[in-house]
Amino acid sequence: MTPSQSETSETLQQILLACAHQDRQGFARLYRITSPKLYGVALRILKRADWAEEILQECYLSIWTHAATYTAGRAAPMTWMTSIVRNRCLDALRRPKLEMVLQATEADDVDPLDGIASDGPGPLDELARLSEANALRTCLERLDPRQRQAILLAFYEGLTHTELARQLDQPLGTVKTWVRRGLERLKGCLAQADGRAQ
Amino acid sequence: MKYRDKPALQQKLAAEYVLGTLRGPARARFQAWLREDAALRNLVAEWEEQLAPLTAAVDSVEPPQRVWHALEARIDTLRTHDPQSRSGGWWNSLAFWRNWGLIATGFAAAVLFTVMLKSPEQVIPQSPPTADNRMQPSYVAVLHAMDDEEQLMFMAYAGRNANELWVKRVFLPQTTATQSYELWAMPGKPGEAPRSLGVIPPEQKGTMQMVAIADTALKDVAELAITMEPAGGSPTGLPSGPMIAKGECFNFW
Repeated sequence: MTPSQSETSETLQQILLACAHQDRQGFARLYRITSPKLYGVALRILKRADWAEEILQECYLSIWTHAATYTAGRAAPMTWMTSIVRNRCLDALRRPKLEMVLQATEADDVDPLDGIASDGPGPLDELARLSEANALRTCLERLDPRQRQAILLAFYEGLTHTELARQLDQPLGTVKTWVRRGLERLKGCLAQADGRAQ
Repeated sequence: MKYRDKPALQQKLAAEYVLGTLRGPARARFQAWLREDAALRNLVAEWEEQLAPLTAAVDSVEPPQRVWHALEARIDTLRTHDPQSRSGGWWNSLAFWRNWGLIATGFAAAVLFTVMLKSPEQVIPQSPPTADNRMQPSYVAVLHAMDDEEQLMFMAYAGRNANELWVKRVFLPQTTATQSYELWAMPGKPGEAPRSLGVIPPEQKGTMQMVAIADTALKDVAELAITMEPAGGSPTGLPSGPMIAKGECFNFW
């Protein structure tokens, strides 16, 4: 289930408004509709179900108490909630994930990098699942493939620059440049696409 | 602040914050700027909106039922104990801090001045410790507000052989029933996780029990920090709420 796009957005806005007025049933509905996606996001970044559960619980508590501060028009409801989850996950990650995977796989004598790389579909496959008409997809496809890979890995897996450098087997400086230049080009391309659309 | 007149730097930081590659102290610093800079918040919101379609490709996973049950229980507690929670996170609101800052700044300056006047004789002992003056402070931390280094919030000190930390709230606002302030020892080495020193007592002055004597518990600690957590402290064992204050932890002898 993907609570996408404008139609769901409108409903979610109404539900959030209900939550702002302490409507528990509205909140239960909001949780039913959105929690699978947000749990999926947290799992991808944290790689641990117990942590993802904790974070999910905290985030919904925060959504409940802050629903009144959500302003429609500023961000789509799903974007607002996803950002809360992503930020909590990134804040919670004090320890490099790679280290964690290393510890977890040491006993199995498995290449620790496989833990990340083979965890579900790769970010490049995910790109293919985005809507063809999506400007973001078009712009990502125009990037240098290495820049694109670094950006998608960072976004989906929550990797730091250092983790990216290890994963891609490149010097840290190189990876930092890929990410920075990739984001700059992405910004330029999206601004152009936006200009054309209007 | 030096990022203010550098639009290219602002763009880079906002983009990397949303992407997730801005981490560690740089991330915490950026979050502090975000709290006081609406233009920067707009940049972040733009990037969030632009990268949002990526989330559509993430697989949905049904969370276990226990998450919902635990959530309901926590909301019930919110309700019974805290009728004011409907306004939600007053401590997190910028307006609150701004007003608080206006009232408090003058007083803070005065207190800080007093502390400084007294410090050679009273805060820092002049003579080395003897076995029976364990209360002489050896470790001293003075915590200031995140967005205003001059706004004194909290003080903590301990004798080197004491396993009690003496704490004093200077300007820490009262919490509601569902919130607690938690004190953290921030290690000096990167990569090490903060260690909880426990929930700060509600009284203006009090003591906090440490797991070991100060010489062990605070030895390699660079800073102390305070976060706002659910009542009773962070459920994860790591800071989970916004950082309210921090300051260097000095070891005098």
